[in-house]
Amino acid sequence: MNTKLTISNISKTYPGCIANDNVSLEFGSGKIYALLGENGAGKSTLVRILSGVVKPDEGKVFLNNENIKLNSPLDAKKNNIGMVFQHFNLFETLSVFENLSIDSNEKNEELRFLVNEILKKYNFKIDLDIPVLNLSAGQKQKVEIIRCLIRNPKVLIMDEPTSVLTEQETEDLFISLKKFSEEGILIIYITHKLKEVLSLCDEVAVMRKGKVVSVSSTKEEKIESLANKMVGENLSTIRKKIKNLKYNEEILKISNLNFRSDDPYETNLINLNFSLKKGECLGIAGISGNGQSELFQILSGEIITDYTSIKFRNKEIGKLNPRERREYLMAFSPEDRISQAAVPELKIYENVALNNFKSSNFFERGLVNEKKIKEHSKKILSNFSVNTDNVEMKSQFLSGGNLQKLIIGRELITSPELLVCFNPTWGLDVGAINYIHETLININEQGKSSILISTDNDELLRLSDRICVIYKGKLSKIMDINEVTPEKLGILMGGGSID
Amino acid sequence: MIKIEKRNDVSPSIYFLTPILAIFLTLFGGGIIFYVLGFNPIIALKFFFITPISDLYGFSELLVKATPLCLIAIGLSFCFKSNNWNIGAEGQLIFGGIVGGGVALLFYGHDGFYVLPIIILSGAIGGMIFAMIPAVLKTYFNTNEILVSLMLVYVAKLLLDYLVVGPWSNPEGFNFPETRQFSESARMPILFDGLRIHAGIFITLMTVFLSWLILYKTYLGFQIKVSGLSLKTAKYAGYKGETMIIIVFMISGACAGLAGVGEITGPIGQLHRNISPDYGFTAIIVAFLGRLNPVGIIFASLIVALTYLGAETAQIFLQVPKYTGQVFQGMILFFLLGSDYLLFFKIKFLGLKKNEL
Repeated sequence: MNTKLTISNISKTYPGCIANDNVSLEFGSGKIYALLGENGAGKSTLVRILSGVVKPDEGKVFLNNENIKLNSPLDAKKNNIGMVFQHFNLFETLSVFENLSIDSNEKNEELRFLVNEILKKYNFKIDLDIPVLNLSAGQKQKVEIIRCLIRNPKVLIMDEPTSVLTEQETEDLFISLKKFSEEGILIIYITHKLKEVLSLCDEVAVMRKGKVVSVSSTKEEKIESLANKMVGENLSTIRKKIKNLKYNEEILKISNLNFRSDDPYETNLINLNFSLKKGECLGIAGISGNGQSELFQILSGEIITDYTSIKFRNKEIGKLNPRERREYLMAFSPEDRISQAAVPELKIYENVALNNFKSSNFFERGLVNEKKIKEHSKKILSNFSVNTDNVEMKSQFLSGGNLQKLIIGRELITSPELLVCFNPTWGLDVGAINYIHETLININEQGKSSILISTDNDELLRLSDRICVIYKGKLSKIMDINEVTPEKLGILMGGGSID
Repeated sequence: MIKIEKRNDVSPSIYFLTPILAIFLTLFGGGIIFYVLGFNPIIALKFFFITPISDLYGFSELLVKATPLCLIAIGLSFCFKSNNWNIGAEGQLIFGGIVGGGVALLFYGHDGFYVLPIIILSGAIGGMIFAMIPAVLKTYFNTNEILVSLMLVYVAKLLLDYLVVGPWSNPEGFNFPETRQFSESARMPILFDGLRIHAGIFITLMTVFLSWLILYKTYLGFQIKVSGLSLKTAKYAGYKGETMIIIVFMISGACAGLAGVGEITGPIGQLHRNISPDYGFTAIIVAFLGRLNPVGIIFASLIVALTYLGAETAQIFLQVPKYTGQVFQGMILFFLLGSDYLLFFKIKFLGLKKNEL
């Protein structure tokens, strides 16, 4: 069965941004197509249009040369377009089978027979009668895929499917996807990960700022060429970090750190122990939602747990709030740069004043010293190559990369002994990523330490001296960078154990 | 097809001009209402907005009404700027009045320059303590400050009722629900003979200046601003969120308490059941009409005070109920919120697309 899906001149505008600008693409069955682009390039909007969640302002969709109307997700189902979203739409407390039967018209026995067939055919190992909350992320994704397969889809769309998966689960997924493709299902694979495009897909369409900028066969592409297309500029390659631990002085010691939360959406931290030397970068890997956010907030002082478990330069700092910790020369760059690390409605210099340390004299005798803050801000803007020198500008007009440079600059200009950063390059373009990485390498070379909590393994492998993995609030053993491989990380991130 | 888009940047001048637009729309809307009621709208509006302030006495009355409104609204701006929704200024005003009035009765018959300052101070403290109840409950028990502060208004009202009917009622007052008239030493000095304008206006002006200083020039003001825009950021910067909630409520309550004590030692001169014509609630409109800006609030309080006076004049000359004043206050808020929406969003009218899906 041959399927042909054509997208013709699709445009969609949201308040303040053009998500899709006259997008036209053609897909045919038997191949796996990658839709590649940075965050905000318009991939997700296009996918939402195909699945009937969003209506385009203009343009048409053809399935096998027939103009199809996609006014609701139901229309997409009718036209055999299946969709697996990045975030699962499953009822956690219901069993796998109950989840599958909710939107199915088959009788229960028939459905069970059908599902068992699918399980056998693709070698999926899932117990149909246990509640979904007991499944791993990879298994949940399989349930979503089975849900699509029940309907014999002609088109299967996967939106960033590997962002929650371990290395091993990713490999499993790729094997299944290739099998589906051989059976004639047209697969559209949305991602911003270049390696995946090359290892899985046959054709790749690159999107940038709402437009399709290139369509090509993956055989003609390399990681660098795709990266350049994705960002739209030529990138210099980053130098490798030279591992060079000159100091033996211990700067931070965490012992028996526990955190218990009343909030069911937070993760409890169980008995964490680690230490950090001067000039060292400790990487903390893990799939998001395994306690990274809680750990960051405990290190920064936003969450106060017990008073004795954090020792920084031989002082117990557990009861200090973030401002007080800064006085001891710690600095923090949180994950949410847009609404936590900075306030978009505030001017640049006001955002700089958020990091108020005593010697800054930003506030003398309780009064604002605007002149001092502005001078200091100008210094940050020029030292950290933020592409503006107007400290009166509201920070909402800075691009993600420039905002992150401003934040890192604000944190580093006090020459802190320790910088804790959480996903510092999340959603940035490659140029800004390189700049931030260079900066983080530099501070280690100047004898300052850093803790890098990140969900990006490439970043961790590039910057860390030692790495450990956080899984369900527990830390794995800490490994030297030389003994770490992506595979090992993958096993630990999925809750497995090595050696 | 209609589309609504968020505007990227709103120029500050337009931001402060929209309240004026809202006032003009209110006049227009009011004119229509008067027309429907069978009056000549121009003449009716003249009675409402011009006649009341056409002589010196009227102008003094305007300031008498604007004094408490401005004071309360300034206090509220501290709360509103930091995302704390104090709706109970009316209760804090009444409680401040009760405490101040109690002290005034205590000093009944005393002379001395110290009497009035002590009364004023105790009124401010009374309002402050009353405002701390919702703040402390919010900080330590996660209660909703809107509900708690609003409900406390009725607690204060009933307490005042009880006091003026029972223990504090005037022994020579033939059981009228009111206290004795305070002695001369406990009264705000009158500024001009024959007019009711009193020294409370200086307290208000001083508070406006102090508030401007605190909000725009101090670290505390900066912290209030940041907490109002993003609590997450305030936490990350290490500001003590709990302390801040209590401080802004204390400031706000003290201002309302001052307004209350200013009323009873000023124009009223005693405690009775109705020491405030809902100044505490109306001040919420004043605060927003003035854009939570100290100078803006001065102008807003004058305009809203005019609706109080206008309603009285209209009642006399046009025989319409004095609640027309509240209709006008409501319209101001309605048009302000309406024009704010258009300020932050733009509406696009697009023709129907031929090839709509």
